[in-house]
Amino acid sequence: MPTTTARPTRRFNRRERIWGLAFVTPITLQVILFSLIPVGIAVYAGFTDWNSIRDTRDFVGLDNFVEFLTDKYFWIAAGNTLYMLIPIPFYLLFGILFALGSHRRTPGSTLFRVLFLLPYVSSVVALVVLWKWIFNYQYGLVNQALGAVGIQGPDWLGDPAWIKPTIVIMIIWKMIGITSIYMLAALKNIPDVYYEAARLDGASPVRMFFQITLPLLTPSIFFLTVVGMIGSLQTFVEVQLFTSDGGREYSAATITYYVWQKAFGSGELGLASAAAFFFALVVLALTLLQFRLSRRWVYEGE
Amino acid sequence: MTRTNVAARRTGTVIAFSLMLLGALTMVLPFLWMVTTSLKESRLVFTFPPEWIPDPIDWANYLEVWDVAPLAVGLLNSVIVTVLVVTVGTFSSTMAAFAFAKLDFPHKDRIFVALLATIMIPMVVLIIPQFLVFVQLGWIDTLLPLIVPGLLGNVTMIFFLRQYMLGLASELLEAAKLDGAGYLRIYWSIFLPLCKPAIAANVIIVFMATWNDYIGPLIFTNSPENSTVQLVIASMSSYYKDQTDYPMIMTASVIAVLPVILLFTLMQRYFVDSFAFSGIKG
Repeated sequence: MPTTTARPTRRFNRRERIWGLAFVTPITLQVILFSLIPVGIAVYAGFTDWNSIRDTRDFVGLDNFVEFLTDKYFWIAAGNTLYMLIPIPFYLLFGILFALGSHRRTPGSTLFRVLFLLPYVSSVVALVVLWKWIFNYQYGLVNQALGAVGIQGPDWLGDPAWIKPTIVIMIIWKMIGITSIYMLAALKNIPDVYYEAARLDGASPVRMFFQITLPLLTPSIFFLTVVGMIGSLQTFVEVQLFTSDGGREYSAATITYYVWQKAFGSGELGLASAAAFFFALVVLALTLLQFRLSRRWVYEGE
Repeated sequence: MTRTNVAARRTGTVIAFSLMLLGALTMVLPFLWMVTTSLKESRLVFTFPPEWIPDPIDWANYLEVWDVAPLAVGLLNSVIVTVLVVTVGTFSSTMAAFAFAKLDFPHKDRIFVALLATIMIPMVVLIIPQFLVFVQLGWIDTLLPLIVPGLLGNVTMIFFLRQYMLGLASELLEAAKLDGAGYLRIYWSIFLPLCKPAIAANVIIVFMATWNDYIGPLIFTNSPENSTVQLVIASMSSYYKDQTDYPMIMTASVIAVLPVILLFTLMQRYFVDSFAFSGIKG
């Protein structure tokens, strides 16, 4: 008897192994070919003077790192990259507000949700094109509206002082909807009993928000801050589309833009790879730092 | 006591509703302006105060835009890339998710963690070496770099689909095995149908990401025949920078944005619900 049951089991196990491996083969191939091998190439390229125009590819040690770290434009780009973190607290705040509104089951909240997500689901290209029109210096809606109340609006896209705020406003506008969806999912997970108990104790709505809702939202706020930071630090498409060369005085260029320009503009693949690799390590360090700091403010439950 | 409570709640709802309305207007008005502009004759674009309902409504741009830019080619390329990536990629992703959630095979957990770790690699590190890989493969200035990786699946989606499948009873697998069903059959006729909501969410998200992709086409293609719709719009916008033919650009943008917005509106429930099982604790 034991022999008859053991044999089919072993057979099933073998088939299960084969099928299991077969099912995960495509994605494993994808990751090896288009992520792991590229990362290897990137690390190698960073230590060479790989140049697609001069056709060089020799080992140069740390030269690339010295070169970009002493490049004025790299540091301007670094400053602009940090600037792109500004949208995060704003869309978190508005996202929470709209999630609270949505959670109250106000009339039309499903329709509102769809409308809120329109910017998020649309392509950045279409949004930038639209933004260029709305923020047009002379004829844009924004400056016309400002003009109507007697304010001369700035040259949003041309003035080095205003291009970054314009991008920031667009990113906030784009991200509010998706943030509120995350927050709404988190709100729905808070058990009603907490509020019922607080109500019996006579707690005011404001107190309930700060004592119950907000602490229980901190894991979601943390998640969105980490994901948002990693994304914001890599802002590129907006800069590439809004400006032709990083903006006047390089006023909008981010590090990803710098890398792209070096690699595909002037063919300095080695230098660009080194800068990208260095930047990736900085992003990783900042992410780890956030996880460390999170212990101080993120509610972890019982 | 109760009366003030009811009154307070009502005021709260009114405030919440006004806030939502204000927010929704902020989100929608720019899009309305896009549509309005696309329906105007060029000479009426710069009128002040702005006209929200064009007079006359002029549909001519929707006929002319096809001659002004290679929009038809761009749309066709985008459709080819998106349809292939969404359909084939969904099968690859669901198969992998099924294996990770329900099957037993050597190094399963190690492979899964290794795959997940690659999500952390920032795009900025990958673009240059990916370009070099595609150069070696002779794929530059073809649609292949936009299609082939996507056909093999999507790690983020596999993660979400696996989470979803973990919630399905393993007894189904055992019962089907006892009935002599093969693994492909079990995947196809038991687990795939049970995952419909998760798959729907997967379809929307991958569709959006592929259709809206700009960096990929920007770096891996360069001739107009291989442009996707996003590239066409972008080059129209920089070409028209000084000519400011806004109605035409807005018309092209409306056409480019429409497929995603339609799909999203139809399937928004799945999109929104997908966040409920995305594993974020509240």
